[in-house]
Amino acid sequence: MGPTELARFEEIVLPHLDDAFTLARYLVRDEHDAQDVVQDAYLRALRHFDTLRGGDGRVWLLAIVRNCARTWYRGRRAESLATPFDEERHSGESAGEETEERLRRGEARETLRKALERLAPEFREVIVLRELSGLSYREIAEATRSPIGTVMSRLARARAKLLEALGPEVEEAG
Amino acid sequence: MTDAGHVAAQLEAWLDGELDAAEAAAVEAHLKDCGTCAAAAGRYRALRAAIRVELPALTAPDVLRARVRDAVREAAPRAGPIRLVPWRAIGAVAAMVVAIAGAWKVGVWQAGADRLTDDLLAAHVRSLMPGHLTDVTSTDQHTVKPWFDGRLDYSPPVADETTRGFPLLGGRLDYVGGRPVAALVYGRRLHRINVFVWPERYGSRGPARADRDGYHLEHWTRGDMTFWTVSDLNAEELNTFVRLLQQPDSTGSAP
Repeated sequence: MGPTELARFEEIVLPHLDDAFTLARYLVRDEHDAQDVVQDAYLRALRHFDTLRGGDGRVWLLAIVRNCARTWYRGRRAESLATPFDEERHSGESAGEETEERLRRGEARETLRKALERLAPEFREVIVLRELSGLSYREIAEATRSPIGTVMSRLARARAKLLEALGPEVEEAG
Repeated sequence: MTDAGHVAAQLEAWLDGELDAAEAAAVEAHLKDCGTCAAAAGRYRALRAAIRVELPALTAPDVLRARVRDAVREAAPRAGPIRLVPWRAIGAVAAMVVAIAGAWKVGVWQAGADRLTDDLLAAHVRSLMPGHLTDVTSTDQHTVKPWFDGRLDYSPPVADETTRGFPLLGGRLDYVGGRPVAALVYGRRLHRINVFVWPERYGSRGPARADRDGYHLEHWTRGDMTFWTVSDLNAEELNTFVRLLQQPDSTGSAP
């Protein structure tokens, strides 16, 4: 790769570091692992820069970050995924009368964070891509290599789970 | 719009800005009349607000920013579609090759010869499959020989042995021992004979004769060319054919 290509890469791909880090951080959860995943993704992106061909650099990069994160948690599945992602065991634990009180005490972050962590990765990633990075359904479909219908049903299921975790009072909180 | 179920299904798409203007207007009209759907919409809005406040998008730490930039700049000169293999992997493979080569050296000549006869046999069998026998189909040596010009960096001698009972059927490019080579095809009754020809400088290991899986192979060199012939023709007739090709006046190597 020549200096011109490197300059193009730095212009098109490097600016999306925050989005890349956000996705990696929510997917792999550990700060240092997330940084490793992002760096790995950037090097992979660099090697395959010729496959971008005028598409959206951000969506393209996020697809690579997602793949790197998946590679990462395939390696960690046994130790890291089994327990935290047991949705049934944990769901609803924070719902109930205390929720409004907790929201007032600033514990909503903890509730929401835990609820998000309990989601399986394919549900967590659609929430992060939609709500945090603001991707459209089509862009999420591209980044996750899934049909749009799958994106919509995963979003619906993920939101239902998060609402369930936040409890019935959430509408007043909004 | 009065179908509450329908609107519920569209609520999220509406909140995500994925509906067109007409669909969005219909949902909004419905929300004015339907308390159930309005409440549902309120919950989604609240969830979105909570996520954006409590789980904000993150800013990459400066240390990561520097790390990524440095890693990219360091990797850029050797990145790209041509060199996809990491140098470290190449180094590891090279080290392995060196380590193995010592132990392997003793058997390499014999193995090379076996690989060559394997290649030749495979090429012969492949040529018998429908449509694979010849690239240029002609009984005329003066058509077949020039066909190889520009396709190979040498000109194989082409002899026509029709009058002696081995008609030339044509020629084709084949791939033997890791190189493109000339293959000439002759017939004898229903049998097919492949003659592979390449310059001796390419290397030519192997026995003068071999039998494999019912096929006979013969090998000779003449001038600066190496010849291998493969056929299921019986060994006597194949040897007759080989001796014909070995005659000085039959090779057509003169222009």
